[in-house]
Amino acid sequence: MQLETFNYDNKIVRNFGIATIFWGIVGMSVGLLVAVQLVWPFMNFNTPFTTFGRIRPLHTNAVIFAFVGNGIFMGVYYSLQRLLKARMYSDLLSRIHFWGWQLIILAAAITLPLGFTTSHEYAELEWPIDIAITIIWVVFGINMFGTIIKRRERHMYVAIWFYIATFVTIAVLHIVNSVELPIAAWKSYYLYAGVQDALVQWWYGHNAVAFFLTTPYLGMMYYFLPKMANRPVYSYKLSILHFWSLIFIYIWAGPHHLLYTSLPSWAQSLGVVFSIMLIAPSWGGMINGLLTLRGAWDKVRTEPTLKFMVVALTAYGMATFEGPMLSLKQVNAIAHFTDWIVAHVHVGALGWNGFMTFAILYWAIPKIYGTALHSKKMASVHFWVGTLGILFYAIPMYWAAVVQGLMWKEFTPEGVLKYPTFLSTTLQILPMHMLRAIGGALYLSGALLMTYNLIRTMQKGKLIANEPAEAMALPPIHTNEKSIHRRLERKPALFMVIALIVILIGGMVEMMPTFMISSNVPTISSVKPYTPLELQGRDIYIREGCVNCHSQTVRPFRSETVRYGEYSKAGEFVYDHPFLWGSKRTGPDLHRVGKKYPNKWHYDHLLDPTLTSPGSIMPPYPWLINQKIDTASTAAKITAMRKLGVPYPKEYENYANKDLLQQAKSIVDDLKQSEVDVLSDREIIAIVAYLQRLGTDIKVTEK
Amino acid sequence: MFKQIIDLGGNEWYLILSLWIFFVFFVFVAIWLLRMRKPYSDYMSQLPLENKKMEKEQFLD
Repeated sequence: MQLETFNYDNKIVRNFGIATIFWGIVGMSVGLLVAVQLVWPFMNFNTPFTTFGRIRPLHTNAVIFAFVGNGIFMGVYYSLQRLLKARMYSDLLSRIHFWGWQLIILAAAITLPLGFTTSHEYAELEWPIDIAITIIWVVFGINMFGTIIKRRERHMYVAIWFYIATFVTIAVLHIVNSVELPIAAWKSYYLYAGVQDALVQWWYGHNAVAFFLTTPYLGMMYYFLPKMANRPVYSYKLSILHFWSLIFIYIWAGPHHLLYTSLPSWAQSLGVVFSIMLIAPSWGGMINGLLTLRGAWDKVRTEPTLKFMVVALTAYGMATFEGPMLSLKQVNAIAHFTDWIVAHVHVGALGWNGFMTFAILYWAIPKIYGTALHSKKMASVHFWVGTLGILFYAIPMYWAAVVQGLMWKEFTPEGVLKYPTFLSTTLQILPMHMLRAIGGALYLSGALLMTYNLIRTMQKGKLIANEPAEAMALPPIHTNEKSIHRRLERKPALFMVIALIVILIGGMVEMMPTFMISSNVPTISSVKPYTPLELQGRDIYIREGCVNCHSQTVRPFRSETVRYGEYSKAGEFVYDHPFLWGSKRTGPDLHRVGKKYPNKWHYDHLLDPTLTSPGSIMPPYPWLINQKIDTASTAAKITAMRKLGVPYPKEYENYANKDLLQQAKSIVDDLKQSEVDVLSDREIIAIVAYLQRLGTDIKVTEK
Repeated sequence: MFKQIIDLGGNEWYLILSLWIFFVFFVFVAIWLLRMRKPYSDYMSQLPLENKKMEKEQFLD
């Protein structure tokens, strides 16, 4: 066998590392901004581009896809080359991947504040960017599989299995959840509607957490933790069990995001059962990681990287225990729509993803610059400041969640809601929101400290762009391998296909009956398509990101039906492309808000929420009075909706604007009676029309 | 005793079928693991450490 010499590409690792740091600071800063907006509404700055509804998705996208995304690529490009004893397949593809991904992030950072959004959580980017993501993801895949094919190590280490599962599952999730019908350059409607759209979205949303925030990080944990501790992984067998059971079970758990909604109850139950089962592989992985440090715990005292890793693994354990607990219907009934979910997500994001990313940066940057870390002491300070930040973030949020969740449900001995005004429950938890902002500020300051430390480290060393390495050439296989799994490990394409089948099973069992058996979504004859004006209003509602704070699904609890009205039925959402059920109630549910208040109330509320609700933290929307309804798009919207199955009459698009103007005029006339003078072509009229329609198809009006 | 599992109607099928799929899959993975040889798992667990001694042994099978 011949000893071959080659180079590892460290430049691409460095580039993704710098992008991770840069976008991390951006994402966390925007996170801090949205946190303070929820305490001091003036921080919305009274412009459309900086309001909470548009900025919140910018924060989530920046942190998930920019900070964590670049962190994943940094870790994968570093570990993949070394585990396979090969340089990346193509330097050109590496560069296309890097710059393509940064352009996608830049496009997101521009389009989201402009209001171009699909409204699907963690998938808000519009269709042109979706296509770009697909292309760049394929580039990443070709580069990864090309490297696997030209490897010098026969067997694929478990970390690479996690990378393969990440690649294939994210591809499936992204494609299925992005099936949209474009109606303009930056506007599209989802193919799915209502309950079906909700199921697809939360199948995606849950598994984006699983296969973007979890599996690649588990792969990196299995590589970097043994490297940092200089010890092999505790149990390789456990890692195999961890991998297969995790990717199999995770994919089924999505419906736990839709408990007590109008999703068929069998799908909800399935989501709950598999969520509980998910504890086993998740904790198996955490234990495998922590036990890797057996006999090396003394190093944790001195090595900041291991400190970060231990907290990352602990946060992973906490979040993956908490997730299944939140899936229990009894817990979910109190926790859902509250800050508990926000706390849960941030324990994972700040603790698991953030801290592991910091650990890898602290470990890899000095290595590729051929020097030592500028200051271990500074890294330790970062560790403690960051840990304190997580605690200051999570504990107040749990507190706020329990307080608000119980306030929503409390009745007086006389049998009436004790807190009938939703706003009183929001104002009660503002002190906790202030503490959360302090936690976020601490975490961000730790990241800034790390940035300084790493810049000094880079200045001290010199980038080893092409790190020399040598390994034996891989000879052809002559022996008959008996073990199925070992044979499988040698065939990455087959491995990918089997992983694909494993992750498809869960999605298919849950989605196919919901899509194909009509009894799963019973139709209601009184439910009619939105009028053209309501449709335009709905798109403004989507553009402004109202769904970030207001849900549109009333759960079948007495506390909700008394507060909001009749619980929501599946058949009410059949024309909702997309569904707008939301996942958080910073403000009240709006599904039964139609005809609850006069038009004047909505007009005043949108102009200045404190006029109708003193103390409200909702931002004002004065631009809705100045901006005109985009009537030029009405025909295209009606045509698109008809293509998606909404029963608008044939050629209705030709006279839809006539109906639109007529309905707008009736609202303007009504407002005139309340001494409000507004033009009928203004956006505020459309959104008022939409809000007044919500939930009225089956609403019983009191005589 | 097995009436709850055998006598299924309507949507119950999806739930029980899902659990069966998982059970069968889990059994397969367990068999793989039980049949795995220790030298192989030891070798694989050492891979990230890039141990020279292990490198020589990579063709041990």
